[in-house]
Amino acid sequence: MTHEPAAPAPAAPRPRTVDDGSNFRHPLYQVLLDTPGLTVGTAAVDDLLTWGLTNAMWIFPMATSCCGIEFMATMASRVDIDRMGSFVRPTPRQADVMVVAGTITTKMAPRVLKLWEQMPEPKWCVAMGSCAISGDFYRNLYSVVPGIDTFLPVDVYIPGCPPNPEALMHGMLRLQEKIRGQRHGKDFAPKPDAALLKITQPSIPRLVEANRPADLSAAQERASDQPTVDEATPALVVAPEDAPEVAPLVANDFEGLLKEVGVTELPKDGPPLVPAAHHLELARRLKALGYRQLVTIAATHWLAGRGRKGAVADEVEHFEIAFVVRTVGAGSRTAAWAVRVLPGQPLLTLSGVYAGADWQEREQFDLVGVKFAGHPDLRRIMQAESATSFPLRRDHPADAPCAPWR
Amino acid sequence: MTALLRRVDPYLKIEAYDPEAELMLLHFGPQHPSTHGVFRMDLYLDGELIVKAVPHCGYLHRAVEKLCEKLAYVQLTPIVDKNDYVAPMTNELALVMAFEALLKQDVPRRARWLRSLFAELQRVASHLLAIGTLAIDLGGALGGGTTVFMHCFRERELILDLFEAVTGSRFHYNTHTIGGNRHDLPEGWAKQAKDAIRVIRERLPEYGALTIENRIFQQRMQKVGVLDGELALELGVTGPNLRASGVDHDLRRDAPYAAYDEVKVNVVTAQTGDCFARAIVRVKEIEESLRLAECFLDGLPEGPINGGKPTKMAVQTKVPVGQTYVGIETPRGELGTWLVADGTHTPYRLKIRPASLHSLSALPYVLPGHTVSDAIAILGSLDPIMGEVDR
Amino acid sequence: MNELIHGGLYGGMIVGVLMTTTAMALWFERKFAARMQSRLGPTMVGPSGLLQPFADVVKLLQKEDIVPFQADRVLFNLAPPLGAIAAISVAAVIPFSADIIAADLDVGVLYLLAIGALGVLPVFIAGWGSNNKFALLGGMRALAQSVSYEVPLVLAALVPVILTGSMKLSAIVEFQATHHWLVVWPFFLGVPAFIIFMLAMLAEANRIPFDIPEAESELVAGITTEYTGIKFALFYMAEYVHTLVASAVGAALFLGGWDGPFAPGLGWMVAKTLALFGFVYWLRWTLLRFRSDQLMALCWRYLVPAGVVLVAASAVWVVWVG
Ligand code: SF4
Repeated sequence: MTHEPAAPAPAAPRPRTVDDGSNFRHPLYQVLLDTPGLTVGTAAVDDLLTWGLTNAMWIFPMATSCCGIEFMATMASRVDIDRMGSFVRPTPRQADVMVVAGTITTKMAPRVLKLWEQMPEPKWCVAMGSCAISGDFYRNLYSVVPGIDTFLPVDVYIPGCPPNPEALMHGMLRLQEKIRGQRHGKDFAPKPDAALLKITQPSIPRLVEANRPADLSAAQERASDQPTVDEATPALVVAPEDAPEVAPLVANDFEGLLKEVGVTELPKDGPPLVPAAHHLELARRLKALGYRQLVTIAATHWLAGRGRKGAVADEVEHFEIAFVVRTVGAGSRTAAWAVRVLPGQPLLTLSGVYAGADWQEREQFDLVGVKFAGHPDLRRIMQAESATSFPLRRDHPADAPCAPWR
Repeated sequence: MTALLRRVDPYLKIEAYDPEAELMLLHFGPQHPSTHGVFRMDLYLDGELIVKAVPHCGYLHRAVEKLCEKLAYVQLTPIVDKNDYVAPMTNELALVMAFEALLKQDVPRRARWLRSLFAELQRVASHLLAIGTLAIDLGGALGGGTTVFMHCFRERELILDLFEAVTGSRFHYNTHTIGGNRHDLPEGWAKQAKDAIRVIRERLPEYGALTIENRIFQQRMQKVGVLDGELALELGVTGPNLRASGVDHDLRRDAPYAAYDEVKVNVVTAQTGDCFARAIVRVKEIEESLRLAECFLDGLPEGPINGGKPTKMAVQTKVPVGQTYVGIETPRGELGTWLVADGTHTPYRLKIRPASLHSLSALPYVLPGHTVSDAIAILGSLDPIMGEVDR
Repeated sequence: MNELIHGGLYGGMIVGVLMTTTAMALWFERKFAARMQSRLGPTMVGPSGLLQPFADVVKLLQKEDIVPFQADRVLFNLAPPLGAIAAISVAAVIPFSADIIAADLDVGVLYLLAIGALGVLPVFIAGWGSNNKFALLGGMRALAQSVSYEVPLVLAALVPVILTGSMKLSAIVEFQATHHWLVVWPFFLGVPAFIIFMLAMLAEANRIPFDIPEAESELVAGITTEYTGIKFALFYMAEYVHTLVASAVGAALFLGGWDGPFAPGLGWMVAKTLALFGFVYWLRWTLLRFRSDQLMALCWRYLVPAGVVLVAASAVWVVWVG
């Protein structure tokens, strides 16, 4: 696991433990406890304050994905979490409970931590759904945080994929119990079962685990303090190579066009392979012929010795980039073609013909690593700008660690 | 709209805009009450006017496509469920149809009708949610918007109940398999469904009154966020967003799949291409989908629901070498699967063509010239689902 | 001296009552909204959730008080109390009954408008002092909105002043008690002026459909984005007090204040105020929100000209008819 190079840490980061919330004492609380007349009724005061805390838990919705929809359903008429005095505040400053509902990715995690730190004490965190608890089946993938308890102190876990609204309501009621118990000195600190921990060990140690390196928390904190760099990162500019002049295509249907560019027979094992030189011209002609809608662009990485026909001994490593376009209206037809490029070799961008190719090509660049010459804005789109790998290449391991989040 | 509007330059150089203007860079998202998930827009504001908008997605990039390369074909349906999590069943359908295409697997007639029936009910649920969240965007979490939202959710629960009765899950159903369906309808389901459809149909005018017939709603939405039809096509915008721009295109009618070739699908279009048109198309599509659902329910044929060969182990289902593209019409537009199979039990490459990603790619073209308030309305009217955008 | 004691006594009483009413109003609103949305609303805290607002306050008192890094500390801390003071001090001149009135100023209406206009100051201070872009946008919107709506507000308030010939609120109510309520006769002046007054008051108090300065779906929480705990509570309370006071003023100026048969004056005043208040919330939970430029257009295109016409017409009415 590689951590970020240690930058000069400005101040020692605030320790984050699971019992963060209960340790906090508002100055006012102390004043109340210290007032002579009130000491007699300390327990009563304490109960009053706890009553307030537990019965007005405003929620900050960290609803990122599917669980967020069930979270919304919990707000809605059938379950109505307003019954217990909870409702959603859009700003972390006024919230008491952060409900993390949904998958947290490595790109999102620094923001989640930042938002958590913006919440005023006392605060609690609820992990809703398997994704928040452990990363669900995305757990081992390169972009997903294997459970938010690797960087947030979680108070209540609500299992399910997604948990029903009733389950969330139940979780909130359990949280009330926990707060009450903590105020009365009950110990809710999790006692990790060593055997269980070994099985469910995420790629980085959880906050509660003893073997968690101190600099990991610091690195996470630093990452969450970093300003977003995306905008500053310049787009990659790939100048188009001098393509040989190609004669304009004239045929009036897809088959005819393919013949013109030299594909005489439609292959059985995939879309026809078009020479890279004719690729742009073909798209232009197809658009004029009524294929006005860009459907998709998908690049496939073939390792050496593999190809569209299966295992081919003398095949070199290459990419096949497939394009699909569509006619509009009744009897809609698709036309698909593919272009074969070698690693490092750029392909002319389609974004001048179909504006939508812009984002599609960015995605293929980001995930597969194909370069598009002449693209106006070739930046990463799915992964963080700082990412260095191309995960959809076949030789990329699915569970590459990306510290400090996984 | 046929007249070509002057296209906004999405790659505008900020320095070239106006050296005198003091622009404010507003990071809108990734955690913001109305970004419909985790999505970020960097808005360059001149006062409150947007000069340039740079969308950033990928905050929910869950690497589904990589996961698909690891798992066996039959294990994939529950995985893709999570992509478009507002209409999960349509994800499964697009996926298994691609497998069936390469396997040359026939689907029994009853299964095809069931698939269409479920797809229509999903569309109703999804559009209800879209209208509800759009109203929240316009009216605020502490205002009239919430009222619409709550009512939409109340009706959506009726549909979720139906699916729960069939599959045992409120969403993420995992009900489509290669060659058919996993779950048949339980006793008395048809009547329950009929009742739900009737209730929703009765209550539809309520939403109409609160949204599309509401003067404030109209003022906020009309002539805002106009998306030209030709541009929408180029960008690959599909579904209600495309039809609102006056393009008469619906895969259910134009390239029928499942049982859509056996019924008549009325395609709802609007001409203006603004936010209001998108909203109105969704409301009208609910009506049409209710009608279709009823139609599928009435004509549901008897017979087996699964034509696939039973296998003992997941690895036994092997798809022959080949590549294919299959697209279906989901509530958000064309959801497609590009499948590259290499003859083993796992896909070699599986690309999911999301509808929402293409809808969002219209933002840099549409947003400039509008205010921040409009940006919310536009984003809401495009109805993106981040799980599908980022996958 | 006597006056001071009188003012202090009633002032304190009114503030106390106002606070309790605000808390109850909060509960009422949440229940009311919930019923509109086929929900139940708070049920678990106290009978029917009656204690919910108190639990909220107890909780907010205990929250950590955060001043954001690089915020303007002085302004940031000044804004919430200022907002609360501005909202409450308007209540001083409201005649709750013939003799329950903290300060029966001769220029009551003027005072009301002046203090009401002051209400935007803390809002803008908060927006500026938070050093947050969303808060700043909210502050800017609030400023523009309040300054614009001040004009129709003054014009509408002038109508009862002209018709009754006094700026003293008790005198205005007295006049209505002896003649007619202004919305009853002359209704063609009273009703439009009343509507304009209420709209402008809503806009000043930032209520839906005019709540764009804190539009949650656009500006996160607008001016209050960075406020925590007790400071947020003050803002929150000020908003409710503002609405409550606006309803009371509307009732006094146009609906005859404490005047009514059978019941004591205070009862009538409270009933009218709450009715108006309920109406405001009915609107709030039904309508969507305007865009800021549409809001301005509504003000300058319709309300201001209508106000001018109304004022002129009232003058004509008083001179030739009344
Ligand atoms: S736990 Fe399941 S439902 Fe929840 S976010 Fe993860 S995948 Fe979606």
